[in-house]
Amino acid sequence: MDKKTKKIDAKLIGNLAPYIGLVLVIIIFSITTKGALLSVTNLQSLSSQVIVTALVTIGAVFVFGAGYFDMSLGGCICFAAVVGGQAAIATGNIFLAAVVILLVALVFGLIKGIFAATVNVPFFIFTIVLGSVISAVVLVMLGSESTIYLKDAVKEIPSLSFSQMSAVNIIFLAVFFIICVILFNYTSLGVRIKNMGGNIISAKQSGIDTRKTTISAFLVSAVGVAIAAFVILLRTRTVGGTTASTVGNDVMVALVLGGMPLSGGPKSKISAGLLGAATITVLNSGLTIMGLSTGQIQICRGVVFIVVVLVSSLSYRGKLLPR
Amino acid sequence: MEQGKELIFEARSLTKHFGPTVALNGVDFKVYRGEITGLIGENGSGKSTITSIAAGMQPATGGEMFFKGKPHKPSTMIEGAAAGIGMIVQEQGTVSGITVAQNIFLGNEGKFAKAGIVSKKKMNQEAKKALDAIGFKGIDPSMMIDALNMQDRKLVEIAKVVYNNPEMLVVDETTTALSQSGREIIYGIMKKMRDDHKAVVFISHDLEELMETCDTLTVLRDGNLITTLSKEQMNEEDIKRYMVGREMTGDYYRSDYDTPVSDEVVLKAENITTGTGMLMNFDMVLHKGEILGIGGLSHCGMHELGRALFGEEKLLCGAVTDVRTGDKISSPRCALLHGYGYVSKNRDQEALVLTESIQDNILAAGYDKIQKGPFLLPKDCKAYVNKQKEALSIKCASITQDVQYLSGGNKQKVVFGKWVGRDCDILILDCPTRGVDIGVKAAMYQLIYKMKKEGKSIVMISEELPELIGMSDRLLILKDGELAGEFMRSRDLNENMIIDVMI
Repeated sequence: MDKKTKKIDAKLIGNLAPYIGLVLVIIIFSITTKGALLSVTNLQSLSSQVIVTALVTIGAVFVFGAGYFDMSLGGCICFAAVVGGQAAIATGNIFLAAVVILLVALVFGLIKGIFAATVNVPFFIFTIVLGSVISAVVLVMLGSESTIYLKDAVKEIPSLSFSQMSAVNIIFLAVFFIICVILFNYTSLGVRIKNMGGNIISAKQSGIDTRKTTISAFLVSAVGVAIAAFVILLRTRTVGGTTASTVGNDVMVALVLGGMPLSGGPKSKISAGLLGAATITVLNSGLTIMGLSTGQIQICRGVVFIVVVLVSSLSYRGKLLPR
Repeated sequence: MEQGKELIFEARSLTKHFGPTVALNGVDFKVYRGEITGLIGENGSGKSTITSIAAGMQPATGGEMFFKGKPHKPSTMIEGAAAGIGMIVQEQGTVSGITVAQNIFLGNEGKFAKAGIVSKKKMNQEAKKALDAIGFKGIDPSMMIDALNMQDRKLVEIAKVVYNNPEMLVVDETTTALSQSGREIIYGIMKKMRDDHKAVVFISHDLEELMETCDTLTVLRDGNLITTLSKEQMNEEDIKRYMVGREMTGDYYRSDYDTPVSDEVVLKAENITTGTGMLMNFDMVLHKGEILGIGGLSHCGMHELGRALFGEEKLLCGAVTDVRTGDKISSPRCALLHGYGYVSKNRDQEALVLTESIQDNILAAGYDKIQKGPFLLPKDCKAYVNKQKEALSIKCASITQDVQYLSGGNKQKVVFGKWVGRDCDILILDCPTRGVDIGVKAAMYQLIYKMKKEGKSIVMISEELPELIGMSDRLLILKDGELAGEFMRSRDLNENMIIDVMI
């Protein structure tokens, strides 16, 4: 009995750690920024940032969970947003832009999925290359302009008030989150992804269709990317070569802070996407308010990332060697 | 215990805890000179724990040890070896990328050095002596170790341990990795040690092997020493009872001999040659309700055959056909959809996700059976997995427990659960009882027999001849990727007849 409770305790603490992390980050930065973190204006900007990161990270749980390391997410968002922006400017129709963004994102998802499922090359190398190629293509597409503005559209695209934008944000995030929770926990996709990420040989020998699973995972992730790109376009009404440039890295930090190993597998969970996105966004915002430069923030994020990876791998090693 | 015998090693209330798990619970264990002492017990009973503490692989939590009358407390394996305890382990212990001789004298190169330069010639000569000493001929010590197969590498390790002239030799489940000829070498070494008035501790799962080789046999169960038997007291039934702690009922293997097997062919392999070249133009058929045993030496191609039947192995030519549908089996997915199941020989690497729960492991192969439309409901998953847990009596705190915390036998039950739950018609089992203790073994034999009676067809690949003889309706023996012999089930079938065609 004693043995049992001990094990459960350890598990419970492991599950609670990401929540504790989020609360700690909020408390620490509320103090260091003398409350500025939780001011109304900052909360407004925080919420819109959290939503973009969360959408991408929740989708990424599927891809990373299955054991694929995708470093091209930032590039994909940027590309989709720019193409969508161009479509909106050319036609003045924001709904058409949304369709274009979704299609672009799905095409990228499909390409990555097919590549991951069929080509025997370390996948993360492919995504690094893909990410930089996409960024280059975006620059070519933009030509002499570095950014494009929705206000230049042939027909006026109405801009949303803050509260309207918040409503849109929340609806998108809630719907996507719920769909992902259902897909991951109430269909076989989650079981297949966790098995693949945990041990691909065993997954194959269990008769799991790994190709189909891989492509499904990338398509779900692509939907997250598409919504994020659309939300960015809608809110900022301007996109350019640097749009979403940090999101790709934020996603990885967010997954780890959310309590999921980057190698994926059985410990993957959708909540990691939401929690991690919140933690990393608060961290970024807090550091910015404290007046740190971009470079200094980068260093702090790096340190936090390493520490979290170290701590989680330490406890992992303990678990790996029970005897 | 008796007079006239000289004690070489003694453990007094030796205790070992791994976190909350008690691996050894105050065990008093004695080893005498001039004897081969057997250690037997179910998985996790503490056999390897005692010997690894004695050899210095890990420290004890409590208790004392005495070796040759002096307190013994080695903190490393080097100290253990220096004191005179040599240990041959189950796992691979050679280092790849260097020669046979370098492996034998790893850490001892100084012996052959003059002014810091190691004489390879001298080292090779000495290595040759070490190999000859155990009767392992025909190996050039200057060969790279990687050129040897698993069995030969094991023998190199044995030569290394024996060369250091230990006074007490621990052989920890080494024989499972060896063929008959390799086993003979080990038995020879153990007997020689005994005759030289030294001591041997022999750990094995193979009861017959232990009864044949050992002078005394100590039975452990759940970290407690249950009893120590002398040669005259050894009796298979008693030992099994001591190990399991209850009466073993029923037959170990199946007992029927004259049950006819259907003529209906369910699976056939025609002219298959695998990409690895381990199987050449091989043909076979499997009948409905048949237990088809497949045996041979390691490297005979039997494991590749199992993989090929499940669509796991790349075929250069030929095909595996599901006769009922006429479809070719081209991938594991395809095999699964045709009602096939496969239990890999490499359980931890290929058949399980160790860091995952029992539930998700079992669901990996069975989720489609309980899907409702596109949905997979947690309540159905739980019910499905709990059913397998009950049916196979998997010992666990809950089905959400990680598989890595289970013992070997229970892990294997989880793998079985993946396929039994699916109600597979054709099961391909590659060494299903490897590293599994006697109680679980018996349960598995019963399960396999039950499935046969339900009309399912089973391919059982095994390195253990007794279980092949005991369970198979028909037995195929492979040699160098080809069929070397075929035996039908009969009371007269014995190991020698099979070994004749195997070698």
